Amino acid sequence: MTCWSGRLLYVDLSKGEIKKEEIKEDLYKRYLGGDGFGSYYMNKFVSGDTDPLSGDNALILAPGLLVGTPIPTAGKSEFFAKSPLTDGWDEGACGGSIGLALKQAGYDVLIIKGKNEKPCYLFIDDDNVEIRDAQHLWGKTTRETEEEIKKEEKNCSVACIGIGGENLVRYAIISSDDRQAGRGGLGAVMGSKKLKAIAVRGSKDVNLKDPSKVLEQTFEWYEKMVNSQAFKEDGLYGSGEFLEWMNKERGTFPTRNWREGVFDQRQKIDPYYWAPRYSIKNKACIQCVKPCGKMFVIKEGKYKGAKLDGIEYETLFALGGNCGNPDIESVAKANELCDLYGIDTISAGGCIGFAMDLYENGILTKDDTDDIDLRFGNPEAVVVMIEKIAKREGLGNILAEGVKRAAEKIGKGAEKYAVHVRGMEPPAYDVRGIKGMGLAFLTSPRGACHLRSGAYALELLGKFWKYEGVDRLSSKNKGREIADMENFMAIYDALGVCKFSRGFFLLEGFREILKATAGLDYDEGKLLEIGERICNLKHLFNLKCGWKKEHIKLPPKIRIPIPEGASKGSYISEEEEKEMLDDYFKARGWTKEGEIPREKLEALGIEEFAK
Amino acid sequence: MYVKVNIDKCSGCRECEFVCSTYHFNVSNPNRSGIRIEKKGLIDDIPHVCTHGKDCNFECIDACKFDAMKKKDGIVYVDHDKCTGCRACEKACPINAVWIFEKKAYKCDLCQGEPRCVKVCSQGALEVVK
Repeated sequence: MTCWSGRLLYVDLSKGEIKKEEIKEDLYKRYLGGDGFGSYYMNKFVSGDTDPLSGDNALILAPGLLVGTPIPTAGKSEFFAKSPLTDGWDEGACGGSIGLALKQAGYDVLIIKGKNEKPCYLFIDDDNVEIRDAQHLWGKTTRETEEEIKKEEKNCSVACIGIGGENLVRYAIISSDDRQAGRGGLGAVMGSKKLKAIAVRGSKDVNLKDPSKVLEQTFEWYEKMVNSQAFKEDGLYGSGEFLEWMNKERGTFPTRNWREGVFDQRQKIDPYYWAPRYSIKNKACIQCVKPCGKMFVIKEGKYKGAKLDGIEYETLFALGGNCGNPDIESVAKANELCDLYGIDTISAGGCIGFAMDLYENGILTKDDTDDIDLRFGNPEAVVVMIEKIAKREGLGNILAEGVKRAAEKIGKGAEKYAVHVRGMEPPAYDVRGIKGMGLAFLTSPRGACHLRSGAYALELLGKFWKYEGVDRLSSKNKGREIADMENFMAIYDALGVCKFSRGFFLLEGFREILKATAGLDYDEGKLLEIGERICNLKHLFNLKCGWKKEHIKLPPKIRIPIPEGASKGSYISEEEEKEMLDDYFKARGWTKEGEIPREKLEALGIEEFAK
Repeated sequence: MYVKVNIDKCSGCRECEFVCSTYHFNVSNPNRSGIRIEKKGLIDDIPHVCTHGKDCNFECIDACKFDAMKKKDGIVYVDHDKCTGCRACEKACPINAVWIFEKKAYKCDLCQGEPRCVKVCSQGALEVVK
């Protein structure tokens, strides 16, 4: 076997039990790695009725199959757990080195169950595995924690939580090398286990079937990547490069808690404005030759000293446009605090925008906000609210629950303003004018999410891969498209390849790469079958958690037409939503209620996990 | 000839490490790479690589008691058959460009005149100086 370690590591914190098990070769062939293993082991180790913040939940880490090979942009590892935000499937990919270290320590999967009584961290040094005391780290920021552990143990990789995870903020993140497994509260799962960090030192080789062929492919893909337009744009401006286009040409940049699709003050948060002024260098995920990260440094003024790896497109939306916040230094400071405290910028911005909307509509008053003037466009309020959320102070304590639970708690019709699908605050795509993405928000196994389908570019540009002439303003024929894209993107997550490379490798590229790295010859059909198996397993997990068709609904704001701009008048009606979902269930071979029939499970070879 | 480092440009992707180890040893393992990226705090990514005499007086060669550190045509390289992993070279190197992994020294040997690390450095942090 090449590319793989062949073992999994199982840790039960309650029992202090540490086990190493062999992974059968057949499992690699059927699941590859990354989200393939995540979907398999989550179904195996976590039952549907598990309380996400109990010891019965598992935290799973699995590097993608190509992590640790020279193949460029293939350095992503994923964390998995039952989500405390959506009470269903959760996964978060991260470009830090933690997965590489795990693989080099000799494990392709790490499964952590149980909970410790006192703060602890897990230290893995190849074959030696220890649960260590972490009381001295509790309360520290992500960066302090990482630094502190690296002083104790040289040359290790760290994944850790900040106070967001400790305080069980339902959208707390896990940080590794200051890169985040961002969505759905994976950090809160760690916090509930009193697990401050995972530190890994690995020394083993990653073997390759045909090393010279792998190098040849590496140089070939490298050339293609650095000569692409995306390389130039991302290199200079990061993932927010298309912010102006998204506003002006598409009118689908969600603004002021999804009131508008165009942010009138966008120029002030556009990377074409801030990158030349604040970015001192590019920052990359591991194995990435076309970095989108910018090292953003504030040298003077109120937020002097703030430094962060960003600001990413989704964050420019969440802490910028969605809060009507035109102050890039405030966005940067809020982004930095999210990273240090370990909370998700998208959900945090979703929650603050929601609270601002309630404030402007009189549902929240200064009595509720500790006297903070929570109107849209108040830059200081955004920064202060991040503090309050992470520390669970005042209104922050309510917002730390996510918009769905917060709306239930606040009452007074607040749910009309709560923008979420299954509890997950959505990313920066106003689906009223990108209808296929509306379907993708509904069908994504972790709630409103752009990455499971990655279909936004296809919808916004009208073409990608085998699709052409796709109409973003139509609800017709979206089922097959989104199901196909989900299957396709599941392969990216199984291999650990960044989705910003989705236009490069495609499935033909992967076929050659898999031959040379892992010695597998998988054509397009075989790869998509693996993707379909993975997607079905994630859905099966959600079904076990009580997923019902009636639970997945686009929020009330999506029924209100976009007021102006290039998508003016567009919205998704209930009929369109139903039409798209029916079409999707049909394309998936599921029942009208979204259940997976026995025959489908058997065809995919996953009937052992039937409900 | 040597590989020149432009520290400010390194993005910390470490692609050079994977490529270097694969080219020299047919396995991907940053521990076996002849170039290393040190991550220092949040901002700095510092490549460490031998400059073959430009920044030193070949202290590693003098320090080696086993005749494992050699120089040929201006290129300093390790003879793994003779290396015992005693760490004398690692300690002697003034620019931290030699390290020990599993009792063998690792360092840059310039890939027979065509450094592979430079070929995959998209940020211009590494360049060949002849």
